[in-house]
Amino acid sequence: MTEHGRYDAIVAGAGHNGLTTACYLQKAGLKTLVVERNDWIGGAAVSRSLMPGWTYSNCSYVCSLLRREIVRDLDLPRFGLQVIPYEGGASFTRDGANFGYHADPAQLRRELRRHSPRDADAYRRYRQTVLRQCRFIRPFLLRPAADPTSMKPRDLGELAFLLKRIHGLGPRELGETLRFWTISIGDFLDEHFETDLIKAHLAGSGIIGTGLGVYSPGTAYVLLHHYMGDVDGAIGAWGFARGGMGAISNALAAAFEEAGGTIRTGAGVEQFLVRDGAVAGVALGDGAEFCAPIVASNMDVRRTILKHTPREALPDDYWRAVERFRIRGSSAKLNIALDALPRFPAAPEGARFLRGDLHCSESLLELERAYDDWKRGRWSKEPYFDMLIPSQIDPTMAPPGRHMMTVFVQYAPYDLEAGGTRSGTNWTAERRQAMAETVLDKIEVACPDIRRHILHMEVRSPKELEDEVGLTGGNIFQGELTFDQLLFNRPVPGYARHDTPVKGLYIVGSSTHPGGGVMAAPGANAAREILTRAGRGRAMPDLAA
Amino acid sequence: MSRAFDAIVIGGGHNGLVAAAGLARAGRAVCVLERRDEIGGMAAEGAFSDGTPKPRMAHLLYNLSPAVLADLDHDRKALFETRALPTVCLDPEGGHVVVAEGRPHFADGAPHPEAGPYHALVSRLARFGAILARLAEAPPPQLAQGMTDLQGLRRLGTLGALGWDFRRIGRDEAREFLRIVLSNAHDVILDEIADGPLAGALAADAVRGAWAGPRSPGTVFSLMYRYARGGGAALPMGGMGAFCAGLAARARVLGAEIRTGAEAAAVLVEGDRVRGVRLADGSEIAAGCVLVAAGPMTAMRLAGPAQFDIEAVRRLRALRAKGTVAKVNLRLRDLPEMPGLTAGQMAGRLVLAPSVARVERAFDPVKYGEMSEDPVIEAVIPSLTDPSAAPKGGHVLSAIVQYVPHAPRGGWTQAGRDRLLATTLAALDRVAPGLSDRVAEAEVLTPADIEALTGAPGGHWHHAEMSLDQLLAVRPVNGLARYRFGPAGYYLCGAGAHPGGDVMGSAGRNAAAVALADGVAA
Repeated sequence: MTEHGRYDAIVAGAGHNGLTTACYLQKAGLKTLVVERNDWIGGAAVSRSLMPGWTYSNCSYVCSLLRREIVRDLDLPRFGLQVIPYEGGASFTRDGANFGYHADPAQLRRELRRHSPRDADAYRRYRQTVLRQCRFIRPFLLRPAADPTSMKPRDLGELAFLLKRIHGLGPRELGETLRFWTISIGDFLDEHFETDLIKAHLAGSGIIGTGLGVYSPGTAYVLLHHYMGDVDGAIGAWGFARGGMGAISNALAAAFEEAGGTIRTGAGVEQFLVRDGAVAGVALGDGAEFCAPIVASNMDVRRTILKHTPREALPDDYWRAVERFRIRGSSAKLNIALDALPRFPAAPEGARFLRGDLHCSESLLELERAYDDWKRGRWSKEPYFDMLIPSQIDPTMAPPGRHMMTVFVQYAPYDLEAGGTRSGTNWTAERRQAMAETVLDKIEVACPDIRRHILHMEVRSPKELEDEVGLTGGNIFQGELTFDQLLFNRPVPGYARHDTPVKGLYIVGSSTHPGGGVMAAPGANAAREILTRAGRGRAMPDLAA
Repeated sequence: MSRAFDAIVIGGGHNGLVAAAGLARAGRAVCVLERRDEIGGMAAEGAFSDGTPKPRMAHLLYNLSPAVLADLDHDRKALFETRALPTVCLDPEGGHVVVAEGRPHFADGAPHPEAGPYHALVSRLARFGAILARLAEAPPPQLAQGMTDLQGLRRLGTLGALGWDFRRIGRDEAREFLRIVLSNAHDVILDEIADGPLAGALAADAVRGAWAGPRSPGTVFSLMYRYARGGGAALPMGGMGAFCAGLAARARVLGAEIRTGAEAAAVLVEGDRVRGVRLADGSEIAAGCVLVAAGPMTAMRLAGPAQFDIEAVRRLRALRAKGTVAKVNLRLRDLPEMPGLTAGQMAGRLVLAPSVARVERAFDPVKYGEMSEDPVIEAVIPSLTDPSAAPKGGHVLSAIVQYVPHAPRGGWTQAGRDRLLATTLAALDRVAPGLSDRVAEAEVLTPADIEALTGAPGGHWHHAEMSLDQLLAVRPVNGLARYRFGPAGYYLCGAGAHPGGDVMGSAGRNAAAVALADGVAA
């Protein structure tokens, strides 16, 4: 006897965007069901205990982009969400040098001057430019993307908003903005700074999660994308969610359930059911079927459409457009349980910046070579990594005196090259381990005794990310952040408002505007769109800043 | 001793000549100052030791602006003759593909399985390129010009303010344009056709002269520009020399004076207005208007950095111009066989870019100051079409070789040049066995040589990188992007200005128009 049920709305996938959409729909009075394939919720915003006593944020690992409007609106702190800002960071070199990116401005200035007085001055200009761009772009995150080819009133309204903001910039500033959106992070940094290590330290945010190199045009935008979050109102700041990134998903789930929503884990969507051009419900992997006139998918657009929507329900050109949507995995992750804090010989005793993001890349060219390796189907010989030890600030992540280290790595291709073929299945346990050894070799530049302290290590290639979390190709953004796939092009031109050709079927994850990162903005934007189309627009609070 | 003109053009390359012709046609007294003994700049012609002509740098016309030709009255005066050449996409495995008028077929005559999708793709690129070409024929759009009223909204609705008339091409096409305009050639090409020589040649066209690979965002933009007129290539009969001579002759007929061997040392500015030019020999020429066809930094230095605000100077210093193209000119005793090609096909535009993947791999070394071991080559044997190209018999092979660093580690040494020549000959030997045995004389021009010869910054084909952050309203830099260059009466009219390089002439034409609109007077 298959399980049935009728709901006003169903959300497929309990990732943070899906849960956000679910919260808003439930609160607007729609009886909502969230279905999730895994036994645990959260997608890539999860806390997993893979080693007794330790908690890993084993996919996403730091929090900044989560829209504070949404946090406030859904009252997430009441459900246990607490974000602790972390301060600063550092980069280390093979010959024992380092660059400490201090949180305290005076200390940072002294540190910059130590490397180059010119760079200390340039940093002020650099930071002003980035902040200016952040301030310009933030209001657009919680608005639908302006579509320049549409004459519909709602779209013209968005265009008018865009124009007003552009007009406010003036021609000179507009020129700078256009330049910033199209330049590479490498060229942008070369324009400002002369010190290789400083440039390498700042460049990482421009390539995290992308299939682009530091000299690829458009990576300054990616940096912006990573900077436009905030913690406690400090723009560009990052923090740890206490208890790991799962705290975000758990808070969203708790808020959802308190509002009356239902979460069903253990079975994912096999097929979106379509009748007469409209969505009718979902058929799950365990045979259960649920009906609803509104179905929101948290899966990426390729998975949603190409794998789970009946082909005959979709026009040819839409199908082809989705096939073209690029989702390329480029990241790996090491999650490590340490028996003690490793030594950082190059860092001053008790340096606060060790609580921040740590890197061992020495120059932009080194980062570019890492990208070239990826293009050829190999993991980077000299990888870039974003390494943090959150247990220094968040005691819940490890037993006392022990530590948890998270290492996010660029680049590792999904379709690894081996024996003349390129495929995700080439990621064998041996190759994963070999990649991990490459990364550990580089980590040793900063902490030479790292290997001695490892109690347990989880190594994740893009293949694991895909298999476990359902992120196609292991791409963390559910799709590349390039302009052919952003704004009114995301995921497909003409369908940039979370909608699909199937009436009532929506896409609410990072494949939609404004893109990836743990933002919850796509989920909230989608909820607004769904409620507006269902005639309940007023039930959605106005989140746009 | 001082002579007075209405306008002086510094640099007798093709943009300088077109600018001069434009000013002269409007009745102004114009003088062109060219530092070298011959005009033409990067389109100049040289000669081998036995007098056989060689196209020094540019060897084909693929983007010559019809508007420029119309202004020069080319149709009636027949300034120079051209021959359209087919493109031959060479395959080291022998499966060469020939493209004529956007339609591919195998060299042996067999139909190409992707002829349909290829033709659809280049037709689309041409349609979209035509939209961009309208931008090329006018100064770049003025930013943020009163767009908040309903009028402005309607204009933006049709993007009429930017000259893009989407209503005419339809909404679906408009959407496709906006999707791919900022995308990369690798993805857009391989979405439509399989990787191989046909795709590789198209990718090579996207990146020729650029510091970019097919995967770099922005390369579709370049491809659209190149394909706006269909993507074909034309050989000027009588060589690039005839082309330049034709331009110069027309300028003279219209009244312009052209002085070679005349190097400008400084542009004289008084009270924030240009008042003339001082030559290297100390003499001065008075003029209320000066146009510079050389690079943007040269333009700044001639007037002196003091004439510009500090932001502009900083921006110009940061302007990226890293040439990646070398030129190899060969005088051949005779021609080897090219297996798989007919004689007619050998006379075509020969492109050696076996796949998009290989073009991307060829790009990578140049980022680190190294040369490609497997270069991308565009070659032409003008003597197969134009007998005047090899009057002493034998043949000339002109090859554009990419990617080659402009500043390799340790600088350009003779060993480096020898390696460049050897790598080029080895690549050509693979498709024309025995070619290197028939070389009577070889000339190698590295990007550094090109810079020394023409003043092109970094030896860069376009004087400044054609990347999206250095295009249109921000070319060469934000604030100096509409040909007016600092002091009143001072203009940039070379490839460093909108719309960029290739032998197009649009920069020169547009700059002259702006100068005239501003009021050029002695």
